[in-house]
Amino acid sequence: MRFVLRRLGFFVVTLWVALTLNFLLPRMMPGNPALAVLGKFKGEVPPQALKVLEAQFGIDSHQSLVSQYGAYLGNVATGKFGVSLTTQPGTSVAQIVLHAIPWTLGLVGITTILAFVLGTGIGIVGAWRRGGRLDSIMPPIFVIMTVIPYFWIGLILILIFGVKLHLLPYFFSYDYTLTPAFTPSFIGNVLEHAILPGFTLLITTIGTWILTMRNTMITTLAEDYVRMARAKGLPGYRIMLDYAARNAILPNLTGFAMSLGFVVGGAILIEEVFNYQGVGYLLLQAVNNEDYPLEQALFLLITAAVLVAILLSDIATAILDPRTRGAK
Amino acid sequence: MRRLKTIGVLIAAGVLAAACGTSSSSSSSNASGPSGVLTIDNESGGTWTCDFNPFNLSYLPYSLGPVYEPLAFVNTLQSGKATPWLATSWTWGNGNKELTFTIRKGVKFSNGDPLTAADVAFTFNLMKKFPTLDINAVWSVLSSVTQMGSGQVVMTFKTAAVPYFYYIADQVGIVDQAVWSKVANPVTYPDKNPVGTGAFTVNSSTCTPQNIKYLANKHYWQPGEPKVGTVNYPAFLTNDTANTYLANGQAQWGSQFIPSIQKFYVARNPSYHYWFPPVANVSLFINLTNPILKNVAVRQAMAYAINRSQASTIGEYGYEPPSNQAGIVTPTFSSWLDSAQAAAYGNNYAYDPAKAISVLEKAGFKKGSDGIFQTPSGQPLSFTLLNNGGFSDWVAAVQTIQTSLKAVGIQVTPENLAATSYQTDLYTGKYQLGYGSETGGPTPYFELRQWLYSANSAPIGTAAGSNWERYSNPATDALINEYGATTNPATQHSIVDQLQQVMLQDVPVIPVTEEVDWYQYDTSTFTGWVTQGDPYAQPAAYNYPDWGQMLLRLAPVK
Repeated sequence: MRFVLRRLGFFVVTLWVALTLNFLLPRMMPGNPALAVLGKFKGEVPPQALKVLEAQFGIDSHQSLVSQYGAYLGNVATGKFGVSLTTQPGTSVAQIVLHAIPWTLGLVGITTILAFVLGTGIGIVGAWRRGGRLDSIMPPIFVIMTVIPYFWIGLILILIFGVKLHLLPYFFSYDYTLTPAFTPSFIGNVLEHAILPGFTLLITTIGTWILTMRNTMITTLAEDYVRMARAKGLPGYRIMLDYAARNAILPNLTGFAMSLGFVVGGAILIEEVFNYQGVGYLLLQAVNNEDYPLEQALFLLITAAVLVAILLSDIATAILDPRTRGAK
Repeated sequence: MRRLKTIGVLIAAGVLAAACGTSSSSSSSNASGPSGVLTIDNESGGTWTCDFNPFNLSYLPYSLGPVYEPLAFVNTLQSGKATPWLATSWTWGNGNKELTFTIRKGVKFSNGDPLTAADVAFTFNLMKKFPTLDINAVWSVLSSVTQMGSGQVVMTFKTAAVPYFYYIADQVGIVDQAVWSKVANPVTYPDKNPVGTGAFTVNSSTCTPQNIKYLANKHYWQPGEPKVGTVNYPAFLTNDTANTYLANGQAQWGSQFIPSIQKFYVARNPSYHYWFPPVANVSLFINLTNPILKNVAVRQAMAYAINRSQASTIGEYGYEPPSNQAGIVTPTFSSWLDSAQAAAYGNNYAYDPAKAISVLEKAGFKKGSDGIFQTPSGQPLSFTLLNNGGFSDWVAAVQTIQTSLKAVGIQVTPENLAATSYQTDLYTGKYQLGYGSETGGPTPYFELRQWLYSANSAPIGTAAGSNWERYSNPATDALINEYGATTNPATQHSIVDQLQQVMLQDVPVIPVTEEVDWYQYDTSTFTGWVTQGDPYAQPAAYNYPDWGQMLLRLAPVK
């Protein structure tokens, strides 16, 4: 219990630091949103508009940083993130994020889980049958995949399966001529559009899981209790799963919790390459357009998600592994 | 291998058959009304909000033209020729301080309300009441807008402001008083279901974050219009995705910068075409508050030294033609160019490095041991050049400028900054040399005014509207004001000639390349496109309200 309380305290302090940084950083960047909007319009906007925009964005009102900070903390506590300034002017930030988040959770979340499950599985079996056919093919291939930039793999897949073979759709998260609805055909369409980006993410992230799982598994297999289990004559699969894998999975589990936290940040380049409407792209847009409210909401969301994920994985590890409970 | 190919062909044939199937079934109803699906391909950089407030700069480009209509159409590609739209005619009176519009009869909003002169007066007075709606600052010159009789609107001006006709008549969409008088705060009003007079309608059910679908307005006031049934405007997050989509024939109307367009686009299909009409300049802005750059000889030398055609071919793939020092965009505004006068200035400052060196030597500058010219007091002619690092074409163009200036003995160090830092420094004057572009307008006067009018300037440290080099000359200001008071083409030309002389004599900015409208079109499914021979509107989909004019001319191929 003391351990959990200590972790919670740590969590609160980190969250406050993150909140404060989140407030200060955008304000330290050069430029202002009105200029960012002017720059966006390919010269279609007359110079007179600068003053109008500055008035619309409230840039000319000089509020002290301290009172802005106070208002900011209050708004965060009550879940008010204000309205977007430049990316989607006037729309509430909460609404913008809510529109984007299901796409990201669906695409990046599911592929992260899949990559973890498949990668860990391959790692376990590979280490168990070290030097076997699976072990000599899968890990090297996927480890090479992890070091290739994933957007490049995405572009190659678009070229082959989309442009040349016309087998799969490669842009958008669904056929934009359809009206979104919970019908089988629409859901099928969404899934079809998720194949290429999802596959790209999967094959480029799976290698890390394989590698860490395989390596800890090999160390664990050399432990005395595994030898003991063999000596007792337990069936192979039980030794593999209950004795070795269960212990070896701990470091991978922490990593998995963290990457689940990062899921809400989206996959910026994947979303860009596949023209996919998710959080990652929103984040890039917000930063480019100096959209403080949107930036803050997104950074806060990501920080909070990562912190919560770490807290949960700490607690989970403590339950699974009693040794960590005494750690300072 | 062979088998794979066959499968590929089969699939391609299947896709083609499917595509033909949809188009033929939709065009069969052609005789009875609008038909066909036109897809626009223009990178928006984000998903759609489905807001269409015509008083908000961010949403105006998606509603002004096809949904909301202005009083008149002013065509930049025909030297600002104005044609009636919602107004049937207009006259200037009282020393060009009064403008009277006659409003078209028989026009209906998409909710059935008739368009009246009261709606027009309401629209303008709404912008007076809420100055943040007044994007073009028309109320800086207007003093009142009132309805006269049943069908006319009278606008009175504080001073003669003829060029403002463009901002008033072409850039303001007329809204329905019955709808907008009930809107509590028009500044934040999203206008998800816009009620306009235009040929197309859009609403919250036809718009998703990924696509805006415009549908033909079956009760449009122009008989037989529109001929296009549906317009899709998908949201492209990046230029590359939009280019791929266009080149694969999934969209018919492109507004894209495409590197190697011949190979990537034109060569793929004989019905693919493009035209990039120049409309403004990309120029080297010279900070006139800098003690060395204040010297006109340095600026003139730079104007001779910069190899504009190299900046065009290397920086812009030759798509953006080289500019001239008079600042007149050719061929778009060729009729305005005072060639005789320009010839007197070294043939419009044609590339001449030897001349640049002699100008500097004559002004008392001497080359130092490093080959860079120095002032008599020993300061080198060495400057930083502010540039937008986000535009790869500009970065390349600036490199050629650096090389050509170095060749005559002027040292330039490019600073390629992120967009927002770049804009802040350029607007607030915190630079020595800066590469940038103005918006221009329907005649060369607009860009000359943006460059040279002292009212567009500001002290260093404060954002200037468009006079970023901080040029100020009372005689030039007087010329610019004089143009505002005349509707006589001969006088207008003579004033623009004199403004060209300012550009040639004082060299406050150095135009380098000509900015173009990016425009690609596919003639296999639609006809009526803007072409070089028939430039009836600015052809990029982001040109508003011009794209509304194009959507009235486009028709499905029968």
